[in-house]
Amino acid sequence: MTLGRNTEGRDLRTRLLIVGAVFGLGLLVLAINLYRLMVVRYDEFFALSKDNQYKDVRIRAARGEIRDHRGEVLVDGRPSFDVFVTPAFCLKCSTEVLPVLGEWLGWDETKRARVEQSFTAAHGPQRYQPMAVQIDLSRDQLDFLSVRLFQLAGVSIEPIARRNYRAGSAMAHVLGYMSEVTQEELNVVNDTSGSAYFLGDARGRRGVERAFESALRGSDGLRKEVVDARGKVVLDEATGQVMSSDVSAPVPGNNLVLSIDARLQAEAENVFPGKAGALIALDPQTGFIRAIVSRPSFDSNLLSRGVTAEQMAAFAADPLQPMVFRAAAEHYHPGSTFKPITLLAGLQSGSFTPHTVTNCPGGYRLGNRVWRCHKESGHGPVDARDAMQKSCDTYFYRVADTIGIDPIADMGRLFGLGASTKFSVAAEVSGIMPDAAYHQRVTPGGYTKGMALNTAIGQGDVNVTPLQLAVMYAAIANGGAVFKPQVVERVETSAGQETQSFKPELVRQIPMSEENHRLLVDALTAVVNEPGGTAFRSRLTNVMVAGKTGTAQVARLGSVRLKTEQMDYFERDHAWFAAFAPAENAELVVVVLNEHGGHGGSDAAPAAAAVFKKFFELKASDAQGFGPDWQVKAPLTAAPSVLSKPVAKRDEKPDPPAAMALMPVDAGHPSLAGDLPPTQEH
Amino acid sequence: MQIGAQRRMVMNVPWGLAVATLLVSLVGIYNLASAAKGLPTPVVKAQAVYLALGAMTVALVAWVDYRLIQRMAVPIFIINLLLLIAVKFVGHKAKGAESWLVLGPVRMQPAEFMKIGMVLMMAKYFHDDFKPTEPSYGFLRLVVPSVLAVVPIVLVLIQPDLGTALMMVFTATTLILFARIKWQVVVTLLVASVLGLGVLWNDYVRPQSEPKFTVVRHLLKKHQDARIAGWVNPESDLRGSNYHSFQSKIAVGSGGVWGKGWNQGTQTYLRYLPEQHTDFIFSVWAEEHGFFMCLFLLTLYAALLFAALTVAFNAKDRFGAFVAVGIAAMIFWQVFENVGMVTGLLPVTGITLPLMSYGGSSMLSVMLGIGLLINIGMRRHIF
Repeated sequence: MTLGRNTEGRDLRTRLLIVGAVFGLGLLVLAINLYRLMVVRYDEFFALSKDNQYKDVRIRAARGEIRDHRGEVLVDGRPSFDVFVTPAFCLKCSTEVLPVLGEWLGWDETKRARVEQSFTAAHGPQRYQPMAVQIDLSRDQLDFLSVRLFQLAGVSIEPIARRNYRAGSAMAHVLGYMSEVTQEELNVVNDTSGSAYFLGDARGRRGVERAFESALRGSDGLRKEVVDARGKVVLDEATGQVMSSDVSAPVPGNNLVLSIDARLQAEAENVFPGKAGALIALDPQTGFIRAIVSRPSFDSNLLSRGVTAEQMAAFAADPLQPMVFRAAAEHYHPGSTFKPITLLAGLQSGSFTPHTVTNCPGGYRLGNRVWRCHKESGHGPVDARDAMQKSCDTYFYRVADTIGIDPIADMGRLFGLGASTKFSVAAEVSGIMPDAAYHQRVTPGGYTKGMALNTAIGQGDVNVTPLQLAVMYAAIANGGAVFKPQVVERVETSAGQETQSFKPELVRQIPMSEENHRLLVDALTAVVNEPGGTAFRSRLTNVMVAGKTGTAQVARLGSVRLKTEQMDYFERDHAWFAAFAPAENAELVVVVLNEHGGHGGSDAAPAAAAVFKKFFELKASDAQGFGPDWQVKAPLTAAPSVLSKPVAKRDEKPDPPAAMALMPVDAGHPSLAGDLPPTQEH
Repeated sequence: MQIGAQRRMVMNVPWGLAVATLLVSLVGIYNLASAAKGLPTPVVKAQAVYLALGAMTVALVAWVDYRLIQRMAVPIFIINLLLLIAVKFVGHKAKGAESWLVLGPVRMQPAEFMKIGMVLMMAKYFHDDFKPTEPSYGFLRLVVPSVLAVVPIVLVLIQPDLGTALMMVFTATTLILFARIKWQVVVTLLVASVLGLGVLWNDYVRPQSEPKFTVVRHLLKKHQDARIAGWVNPESDLRGSNYHSFQSKIAVGSGGVWGKGWNQGTQTYLRYLPEQHTDFIFSVWAEEHGFFMCLFLLTLYAALLFAALTVAFNAKDRFGAFVAVGIAAMIFWQVFENVGMVTGLLPVTGITLPLMSYGGSSMLSVMLGIGLLINIGMRRHIF
């Protein structure tokens, strides 16, 4: 007899049945739940288990190269070994991995804090993307780290193509540089099209790197690798190979072809006088820039490696402000280089003809004040041509006195002054082209005639950027066509197929009479080529250069005239020279601004002359070497530097150096730094 | 008579129980062979040794008359308590809990044996305390059995081994309910359950603004808190606190009807399952063998439990019946919690799946229980 059947244990029987029922129910619940997971939701979980097996490995697209007009490489990539940390796979990251890594790589406190900060900022899927924590390992670091890497979970070393700016700081403002995307940018940028950015990716900053970021960048490829739960790649047991499948191949970024001629650029860098300023050489028939210098500059390679906040602060604290793109993002008084505008405004008004003669006694009386000419003894009677050649201030004072400020401002605006040039690859300022309304608004006491006089000679409130001046002189040279300055000619795929091409863009055709155009070209030619011209020393033997010097006063001076050397640097005058050549059918405009450099004739014009000389030498040699079209498109696959240099040498017969500076100092040598009448503070 | 009694005893061995136990154990070893691929320790060999030791344990435990064990229940209980206390002082730490006792080459988890000790002790109490005139237990008479349960549970809890403690709570509760309780106690228990659910709702479900008012939550350890929060909201924080639970669900769900095949489970092979050879062993089985084989395994457990309850039903005395129910409850709750947690139904606690999970202490404690069941079953006609 057993208990359950006994009367003694009968009370247990019911409860045993209940217990059995509970057990059965429990197992039934488990079975139903299994059915739900394994049968009903099978597809979902099977897909998830497939997802789990693969890690998406990004195959980075090579960034496009930047080349000059003839195909010479200006910017390309070079391999760099970078250290990456994948937050999701980096176990005990902040307590063990990062401190050890930091010690091995010699990080200081701030660096370590920065890495940790970006590490903790990564959320969601970002945690599965490797994050660059140290770029450009030295060979020693690479050797040291690669054998110890297995000790650090989630840390890897990858070869990355890094930007290589072959000419260092040359054209840095135009080319730009690269730096890491920030967390804030990621949120914004990744919403738009194109392949996604990840922490540690670099983006183009400034210049064409920035303006053509999407074209240069290409799109990343994707490879799926079988990984285990810790993110370690699983090797095929049979073959020992990584188990992976290529899903998509990366598409390399497009190449940019600039209108720059690297050889002309090198010459411009070479001959640029002074420590600050800008030099622009552009084609007056198209607006394409052939060479562009902005000094001081920065090293794009250095910035692309990642500068610290302190380094950036040092840049910002530099009194010369190397980050400022002086060619377009800074404006200056144009000084006498402005005078063609005043001259044209005078002629246009009808009050002046080319033959109207004004006597210059060394100054001009307006009311009870005398506005001085830079030549204290006076130029005597001058007509339009003389006034331009000798830069006679008195003549232009009279024009301004006669027609007022507004016609001058209208003329200036026609030539693009006071407004953006629409140069698309870099920031620019619009300068100031003051008129009566402007002075009413801005100047205490409102507009007075004296302001027109100051404006007439490029002082007062008129401010231009070197690029605006280049565009203006291009329009003078080509008979009135104002072009948008451009630096990018075309975009090509890595295989050399053109995807985008930039044509000259005419902003405005100024109605300029042929007579006025002739007069202006003739007068500007005389500035350089006739004794008494302010740039006579910078003429060339075989090419007619037409141009205008300028010496823009920066500080109000006392009654004592100081020599340049005696003045504080930041109070010295700006030296300008704006020119084109050949005078007829000009092929090149060159504008030189030597900031606080002194006199236009002596401190700016020689550099322009050297650039012109180089330009026409190159033109001749290219014509010989490559046939009638000097703008030879070198095949992009060949090494352009090899192609260009020896050929250029073959024909090189340098002009005698004497040709440029034989003449003694002429009578008209400018001493423009005279006391100017009281004007607004600059 | 003696010979006859012996023959009868062998005849009365609950063979169904023995066969079910052996089948589950063999399935377990077969499954381990796949789950433990790539593990440094020779898991399969060790488990086979444990199984052999377990079988010997069953034989040994079955041989001794359980009335002797009944008399020894108090010392066994006390020794277990002492071992648990000893572990707190000389225990070996593993995964943050001091639950291992190392004696030379032998490492054991006293908590596993405490479960059996507690069942024996409570069974003995209910046996001795039985009054035919007053069969129902009121609050007063429940004080002693409650203490007998709470003391070992608290000792296990402070190891800390929340999972095992929880299993002991369920086992002890099953035993107390089985002992027939007065309706006032039933009402109290119901009220307590409702209160518990209320606390859960207050601490985890109800949206609250800071400062939050919580009853229990702030007392829990961070990982325990995360697990309960994850369980309450299973689709949240899949990369964090719900990671293991979710990966296990993926493994089970991706097994489908027929499974991916022995040794073919990707979740297993790529180590997405935590503790895949111990706590999450069922996921391996599910992923590789599919829904029907899971039903098969659950059926084996059902058969085992049915056999255990049959032993209880046929037991000669109340002690035997209570021990049998206690052992059955112990196995059932562990299966329920383990399969429940790997399928996302219950919060994750470190509970092994009886006979399937790798581990000597777990195997031995289950085998002790099976031995007791066989012992009781084969002696149903004796004395």
